[in-house]
Amino acid sequence: MTSPTPSGERPSLRGLLPALVLTAVPAALAVACAVVVAPDSVRVPLALGGSAAGLLLCAAVAVAVHGVLSARAVRHRLESVTQDLSRALQERARFAEETRQERIRLTGELDRERTRLTAELDHERTRLAESLAAERARLTEEHAAESARLADEHAAESARLAEGHAAERARLTEENARLAARLREAESLRSAAVSATANAAGRMQALATGMLADLRAMEERHSDEDVLADLLHLDHRTAQAGRLADSVAVLTGARSGRRWARPIGMESILRGAMGRINGYQRVRVHSTSGAAVAGHAAEAVMHALAELLDNAANFSPPTAEVHVYVEEVPAGAIVSVEDSGLVMGEAQLRRAERAVSGEGTGFGGLTGTRLGLAVVGRLARRYGLKVSFRPSARGGTGVLMLVPQDILVARDGSAAPAGPAAVQAAPAARALPSAASPAPELPRRRGASPAAAPEQAAGTARAAAPAGTGADPGPEPTHESPAPSPASPDADALPRRRRGRTLAEAERARSANRSAPQRPAPTPEETRTRAARFGSFRQAVRGTPEPSGTARGTAGPAPGGDVSGPGPASGPAPDGHAPDSGAAGTAPTAPAPSHPHPHPEGDPTS
Amino acid sequence: MSGPGRPGRDDSPDRLYTLTGGRSRSGENSPFDLVTLVVAECDPAPGMQSEHAAILRMTERPTAVVEIAAELRLPVSITKILLTDLLDAGRVSARHPRREAVPDLDILEQVLVGLRNL
Repeated sequence: MTSPTPSGERPSLRGLLPALVLTAVPAALAVACAVVVAPDSVRVPLALGGSAAGLLLCAAVAVAVHGVLSARAVRHRLESVTQDLSRALQERARFAEETRQERIRLTGELDRERTRLTAELDHERTRLAESLAAERARLTEEHAAESARLADEHAAESARLAEGHAAERARLTEENARLAARLREAESLRSAAVSATANAAGRMQALATGMLADLRAMEERHSDEDVLADLLHLDHRTAQAGRLADSVAVLTGARSGRRWARPIGMESILRGAMGRINGYQRVRVHSTSGAAVAGHAAEAVMHALAELLDNAANFSPPTAEVHVYVEEVPAGAIVSVEDSGLVMGEAQLRRAERAVSGEGTGFGGLTGTRLGLAVVGRLARRYGLKVSFRPSARGGTGVLMLVPQDILVARDGSAAPAGPAAVQAAPAARALPSAASPAPELPRRRGASPAAAPEQAAGTARAAAPAGTGADPGPEPTHESPAPSPASPDADALPRRRRGRTLAEAERARSANRSAPQRPAPTPEETRTRAARFGSFRQAVRGTPEPSGTARGTAGPAPGGDVSGPGPASGPAPDGHAPDSGAAGTAPTAPAPSHPHPHPEGDPTS
Repeated sequence: MSGPGRPGRDDSPDRLYTLTGGRSRSGENSPFDLVTLVVAECDPAPGMQSEHAAILRMTERPTAVVEIAAELRLPVSITKILLTDLLDAGRVSARHPRREAVPDLDILEQVLVGLRNL
């Protein structure tokens, strides 16, 4: 800016020098003049003073010169600075101008660029909007087309499926109808087969029952031991055949066998069950039970027990024994059958339990050879028996059968077979139930009043009168036909049916009614009995071979035959030989030897 | 054993072979015949077969075999088997009637003929 000016800053020596000289020289001359002129006295001070004043003058001149020079330098610098300043201002103005121009230019450029971009943007936007609209329209169109196509396809498919469905449905309906028809046909076939089987089984049962009765009668009649052995063999076979018929009848839903008119004691139940199986000789019975099973259920209990015994005997070694125990419990009587044979496996046990539970009532699980447990199941279900299996302490399988209390009838401890001595007791015993007419369920427990009272009534005829027969009226009309007067009002009354009693009971009452008029004159009957006894006695004593030929005259007869042999006939002991009243009434003398068939055998199945 | 009102029916489910365990013979040297007198030697015990008990009750006094059979309503052969069992067990004893009481066969035949002529 300010260029250094050496003259301006440092003017002193060189700039001062002329001034100083100019001043000093006149001053020195002035002083020297003054001193030369002045008197000698004043000269010295004057010289001093004059020198000093000259010096001062020189100093003042120097200072003034210096000041002038300095001012001159400052002015010069000021001028140069002003010039610089103006130059700078010019520069600045020029720059501002340039800037302004540049700005204008840039603004213009910017505006143009902006305009251009805006235009481009608008254009692009328009283009995109157009293409978007086009695309959209295209897609919309495509979508509509696709929709329409799919809708068409769907409708077609629906129609096709509906058609197929309808066809299928028609086919199934037809099939259903066909199957229903077949089912009906099968049902009717099945029911026809079942009823035919039931019918045949019923007839087989009747035949077997009749044959057993005939065999029993023959066993009574033939005293020859060989004949008896054969008859017993036939008897055993017939009993087994009867059990099979019973089984088929039970499975087909028919009733089980015959119904007994009186309660059957437990011993007879067990023996009846034993008698129907093949290996009955291997069965050992341990029973002290005095209970009896009500007549309507006795056959079922026997049958079920027979099947269980048969199972036990068949599934144990041929020489092993089967043990049967009877135990009375509050719920009834438990019959346990224990064998020492095979132990049943888990699955076998489950199958057996299921079979005896009587759940399945169909014929599905039957195999033909294993009917037994299914029969037990049916019987158990019908009569409330409970059968369970468990391992036996004997090593085999134990079966427990609970006979429920409601089909048990209390019986006096010593159950004697219904002998002729019951004849006296029977009227008294019969008078009670007919007067009080207790429901058959009443005499359940031992010592219940209906069972106790007949015993008191029978006290006079103690001998072997089973008080158990008092719980139910006398077993057979045989005992009542010679009944004295107490029975007569009962005979006059209408026959009363009670539960568990069947047509046979009414029939029995009717026959008692019929035989009532004969009662006042018992003598012909006694005569007949005596004659029969005497006939058999004579036959035995003489040992004469019968026409059929019991060819052992030596064995049977006792040569020491007592004349009092007919003596038992004094007690009215009717046995099987007592013929029908009509048949023997005409020929009382000797019916037995010549006519060994006291009653018609032709209608055992009636 | 059928009742008169119901031909073809018996009134007991016991089959005779179950009473004797299948035996039908009383043995070769059976002491029993129709008129042998039987006397009980002990009282019936519980658990005994009911026929045995009945026989023991019946024969507290001497009783003939035929009478026992008639009381039990069993055939004589079966009764003999039951009696043999009891005899073997020592529960009864048997004795024959005295010989003197037995009349001659001729007399019996004569009686029979006389009865037939009645």
